Amino acid sequence: MSAADIRITAEPVDSDRCKFLVSQPLHAGGVRRFASPDEAAGSPLAEAIFAIPGAGITELIVSGNLVTVVKRSPTPWTAVGKLVGAAIRNALATDAPTVAPRREGGANAPVDDDALYEQVAQLFERQVNPMVARHGGSVELIDVQDAVVMLRLGGGCQGCGMADVTLRQGIEGMLREHIPAVRGLVDVTDHTAGSNPYFAASKK
Amino acid sequence: MAPRVLLLLPTTTYRTTAFVAAARHLDVALTVASELPSTFEQAQPEALLTLDLADPERAAERAAEFARSHPIHAVVGVDDDTAVAAAAIAERLGLRGNPVPAALAARDKNRQRQALALAGVPVPRFVLHRIDADPAILARDVPYPCVLKPLRLSASRGVIRADDARAFIAAFGRLRAILSEPAVARCGEPARHILVEEFIPGPEVALEGLLTDGRLHVLALFDKPDPLDGPFFEETLYVTPSRLPEPAQRALAATAQAAAAALGLIEGPVHAELRVNERGTWLIELAARPIGGRCSAALRFEARDEGRGERDGSLEELILRHALGMELPSLRREARASGVMMIPVPGRGTLQEVRGVDEARAVPLVEDVVITAYRGELLVPLPEGARYPGFIFARGEKPELVETALREAHRRLSFVLAPSRGDRQAL
Repeated sequence: MSAADIRITAEPVDSDRCKFLVSQPLHAGGVRRFASPDEAAGSPLAEAIFAIPGAGITELIVSGNLVTVVKRSPTPWTAVGKLVGAAIRNALATDAPTVAPRREGGANAPVDDDALYEQVAQLFERQVNPMVARHGGSVELIDVQDAVVMLRLGGGCQGCGMADVTLRQGIEGMLREHIPAVRGLVDVTDHTAGSNPYFAASKK
Repeated sequence: MAPRVLLLLPTTTYRTTAFVAAARHLDVALTVASELPSTFEQAQPEALLTLDLADPERAAERAAEFARSHPIHAVVGVDDDTAVAAAAIAERLGLRGNPVPAALAARDKNRQRQALALAGVPVPRFVLHRIDADPAILARDVPYPCVLKPLRLSASRGVIRADDARAFIAAFGRLRAILSEPAVARCGEPARHILVEEFIPGPEVALEGLLTDGRLHVLALFDKPDPLDGPFFEETLYVTPSRLPEPAQRALAATAQAAAAALGLIEGPVHAELRVNERGTWLIELAARPIGGRCSAALRFEARDEGRGERDGSLEELILRHALGMELPSLRREARASGVMMIPVPGRGTLQEVRGVDEARAVPLVEDVVITAYRGELLVPLPEGARYPGFIFARGEKPELVETALREAHRRLSFVLAPSRGDRQAL
């Protein structure tokens, strides 16, 4: 497949965060999160995105055919997005993996993501999912990396007008209360694909 | 301890993401109150609250009860109804806010016009009728052209121009049907009246402002380049800065300031619709709330010190800062022109697909195309409908370039609709 055949859709979440949906998978081995250029070393896609001049990239998450990029510069996503798109196309143009497999934490690793994963999975199964199920929703734990939880919303939560309230006021609060070691929460849901949101915006 | 904001977010609002993000940026404690319970409310009682937003007194009572265990430092409403509830809560808790009568007058089009006319603010001539009146009799005495409006609905829903008696009778019947829909009729007495007012010709603008101790700071003046001459009044393009001459812009700001003062509004965001013509400036409507839909993303305010890594601020950050009495970094909008298109409803039907989004995003100066309608949603055009299928945003050096970019992006979009089930049965 040539670079021109690769379709990439940018979906800014806000001025800091943007999701890029790619027509072909970038990383089949779960989720990789990069929080610094040092962590990106050895992963061509992540290296290229962190190297975008003036963008102030602070975080990158790659999962399947979805890339989530976080920046701190005021440069609009229209400008940064084109460079991210070029980096994605370049990375897919080679035979090499776009991102290196995740390195397992050694004995000195500051957090044990596997242990956190288990705790978060239990919390989601026993408490969070029964709650969102009342609105026809579901929450899928995708991964935990560097104590950051990555999740995907489904059913009534996908595309719901109150999804951010559920995430930030509900799920994040429960994580803070029950598993204080969790450092953050990233939603990798494609909300535009939701077809049955529980709440839909309808007025000014 | 971080100050706590009580944010009144109805479940039908478009504003959730922007306000929740602003609260996170400011690192304030946030309690979100909605009219329906969140499934997490019992698990996170500090963060989530259910309030009867349609009953400000009850809402204030419950908020006061909540505040006894979780002190509240500011309350913010995001739309017309929650502006009244926010005023009642602010009054009860002694927080910064508007007097309840002022918020009530801003929400009700008839009360608003009465107060403005009494204070000498230029408003269209108006008269109020009950929905059970005979339109054929009313039509004899109406000065044409006129505009029929509901008292409470938003997003130009139910607003219809009539140029003669026949059109008046038809419009009256159509608006009466909208007001009789169960969800609308539920709001009680306001749904049993129709406001009929003089049509004011001339270009329309939207003014976004922030009141502090009664003084209006104009945050942005948006031109509406598509003429709003009826018969329906679908909002489409907003572009700022305005291309109107400076004296006209000053006159519009003065009219908005006079209107806010006449209504008794003193604190928080205001959104005003005004017209200007050879007879002067006219206040069409003023609401004690920020700009609606997703349109606030068209506004960014300069950071005080970019060198220190400060970022441009959003409208929602300004509103939260103001409510909390925090220092306001800047009330000056960014230097570039900016605009938003509320994508017109393409027709009645169930949304199957939106084509051309990537192509629309590729238009130079276009920053984003957000489709808020979901697949399977029934799209309903004005005057019965009230929901935009999405928004297009653009920024550039000049407002005319921004306008061109928005129009070009819109031209590249196409909506695939299927007849709704109800429509099929009707065939």
